[in-house]
Amino acid sequence: MTLWNPILIKEMRTRMRGKRAFLVLTGYVLVLSMILGGFYVAINRAAPVTVVNQAGGMLTPVLIYVQMALICLIAPTFSASAISSEREQQTFDLLIASLARPSTILVGKVGAALSYLLLTLFGSLPLIALTYSLGGIALRDIAIAYLVMIVAGIAFCSTSFLWSTLIRRGVLAQLVSIGTVIVLVAGIPAVSLFLSALANNFSGGQSQSAMNIVFLLLRTNPFAAIATQIHGIPLPSFVWLREIPFWITQVLFYLVVTALSLYLSVKRLERVRKWI
Amino acid sequence: MENTEQQSSSMIKLEHVYKYYKSFLAVNDLNLELGRGEVFGFIGPNGAGKTTTIKMLSTLMLPTQGELTIGGYSVVREPYEVRRLIGYMPDSFGVYEDLLAWEYLDYFAALYKMGPAERKRAISDVLELTDLTAKRDAQVMSLSRGMKQRLCLAKTLLHDPSVLLLDEPASGLDPHARIEIRELIRELCRMGKTVLVSSHILTELADFCTSIGIIEAGRMLVAGRIDEITAQLTGHVMIEITVKGDPVLAMDALAERPEIKRTTSDGRTIHAEYSGHPDDADELLEYLVMRGVRILSFTRTEADLEDIFLKITRGVVA
Repeated sequence: MTLWNPILIKEMRTRMRGKRAFLVLTGYVLVLSMILGGFYVAINRAAPVTVVNQAGGMLTPVLIYVQMALICLIAPTFSASAISSEREQQTFDLLIASLARPSTILVGKVGAALSYLLLTLFGSLPLIALTYSLGGIALRDIAIAYLVMIVAGIAFCSTSFLWSTLIRRGVLAQLVSIGTVIVLVAGIPAVSLFLSALANNFSGGQSQSAMNIVFLLLRTNPFAAIATQIHGIPLPSFVWLREIPFWITQVLFYLVVTALSLYLSVKRLERVRKWI
Repeated sequence: MENTEQQSSSMIKLEHVYKYYKSFLAVNDLNLELGRGEVFGFIGPNGAGKTTTIKMLSTLMLPTQGELTIGGYSVVREPYEVRRLIGYMPDSFGVYEDLLAWEYLDYFAALYKMGPAERKRAISDVLELTDLTAKRDAQVMSLSRGMKQRLCLAKTLLHDPSVLLLDEPASGLDPHARIEIRELIRELCRMGKTVLVSSHILTELADFCTSIGIIEAGRMLVAGRIDEITAQLTGHVMIEITVKGDPVLAMDALAERPEIKRTTSDGRTIHAEYSGHPDDADELLEYLVMRGVRILSFTRTEADLEDIFLKITRGVVA
C-alpha cells in the first residue's frame, strides 16, 4: 500500500467537484461566525468592561463547543455511506473485482472523509485567531481543544465507516452512525449520572466509588475534556487518576475506538465474498 | 504468474460446483472447461444461475462446494491472482456520475496498479476500441446508456485481461447499441481472449460463440459446440450446398449416402440433414466432387439456438 491511493483521489475529486463542498464549508463558517457575532454583541452590551477585555476567554470556548457539536453531526455523514453508497449505486462489485485491497479501500474512504473534515475544521481557524486576539485564553488550550476535536472526528468517521460496511442502506447507516455518536458523547455521561444517582440512593449519601466511576466515564467525553482543560475545573481529592488530564484519557479512549472500528472494518472487507 | 497461466491448458475450469443461498440451490453440480481463445455463450432463463456462476468466477462470491480455477489459479484461495487475469462486466452496474470518462477509466486503471504512463496509453487504447475517444472528457452522467455500457466494457479491458466474464453485456440496450456491443465482443474474440458471455437473448450469442452451455435451475443441461449439440439433440447437422447447374445430380448422389437423412432443394441450393460426425463433413464434399457435382458453396449451417434452447429447457425458472 502506497501513500498514493486511487480511491482517495477519486473521492476527493467527486467531493470537491461542484458547488456542494464549498457551500457546506461556507455554511459551516457562516454558522460559526453568526453564533460568535451574537455572543460578542451580547457580551458588549451586558458585561462590564473588564469582562469585555477578556472576551476571548468566553468566545473561544463557545466557538470550540459549537464546532465540537457540529463535528458530532457532520463527521458521521462523511463516511457513513462510504460502502453503502457503492452498493446502492452498484459500483461495489467493480471495486471488489479489481486489485483494491481492503486496506486500500479503508484508507481511501476514511482518508477522504477525514480530509474534508480537516478542511472544515481548519476553515474555522481565522475565527479562532480572531477570538484568541481578544485575550483570555491560552494558545496551548486551543491546541488541545483542536486535538480533541480532530481525534473525535477521526473516531466518528471510523465508527461510521464500520457501520457502512455492516448496513446495506446508506440512509440507515447514517442514522445508526449518528446514533453511535450520540451514545458516545451523550449516552455515556447520561449512564454515568444515572449510575451515580442509583448508588447515592442505595448508600444514602455520596458514594466515592460511584463518583469515581462517574468521573472515569466522563473522561471519555470530548466536551468534558475540553471543558476541564479550558476552564480548569477542580476535581475532588478522592478521584482516581486525578493527576492525568481529562483530554489525555479522552484522546486515548477515542484512539482505541478508532483502532477497533478500523480493525473490524478491514476484517469485514476481507470477508466481503460472504456478504456482498 | 505467467508461468502458471501458460502451463494451464484450460483457462476456465469448474468442477462439481454448488452454490446454495440458505436452502435454495442456485448452482447444482456445475462442470465446465474452457480453453484459451474459446468464446462460450452461457444461455439460460432469468434466475437459472448464470449470474451466480459468473460472480463466483469473478471472485465476488464463494461457492458452497466445488473447485473453480482461472488460468490455473483457484478462485477461492487465490482471488488476487485471478483478478489480474479477468475482466468482469456485471449485468447491472453503476458508474460514478460525477467523474469524466477518462477519470473513470484512470481510477480503475490505478486500482489495477498501473503506472501513470501505462494508464495513459491503456485509456487511449480502450477508448479507441470502444469508439469513445470523442467522449474522453465528457462527464459520465452525460453519456447515453449504450455509451455507459461501452465505457464499462472499456474499464473491463484496461489491464488487458486474458479472460473476459461478461454478464448480459447488451441488456437494456436499444437495437443499435446492442449491435455495437455485439461487434465489440466479436472484435475481442478476434483478439484471442477467452470469453464467457451470458445472455438470455439467444441470437446475440449465435454469431460469435465457439461453444455454448444451457443452464436451467442451476444445472448445466448441455454444453459444447453448437453443431455438436444440435447433432446430439436432433441426430443431424444441416449442410447447405449450392451447385452450378441442375441440382438433381447432387440430390441423387446425396441420396446414396447413408449419413444423409433428408434433402430439400431451393433452386440451386440444397439443404441436407447430415447425421455423420460434424468434423467428417469434408468427406461428403470430396464424394460430391468425385461424383462430378460442380459445387459453388458447401456450408455447415448453424442450427437455430432458439430451437435448441426450447428443446432442452423445460421452463422451470422462466
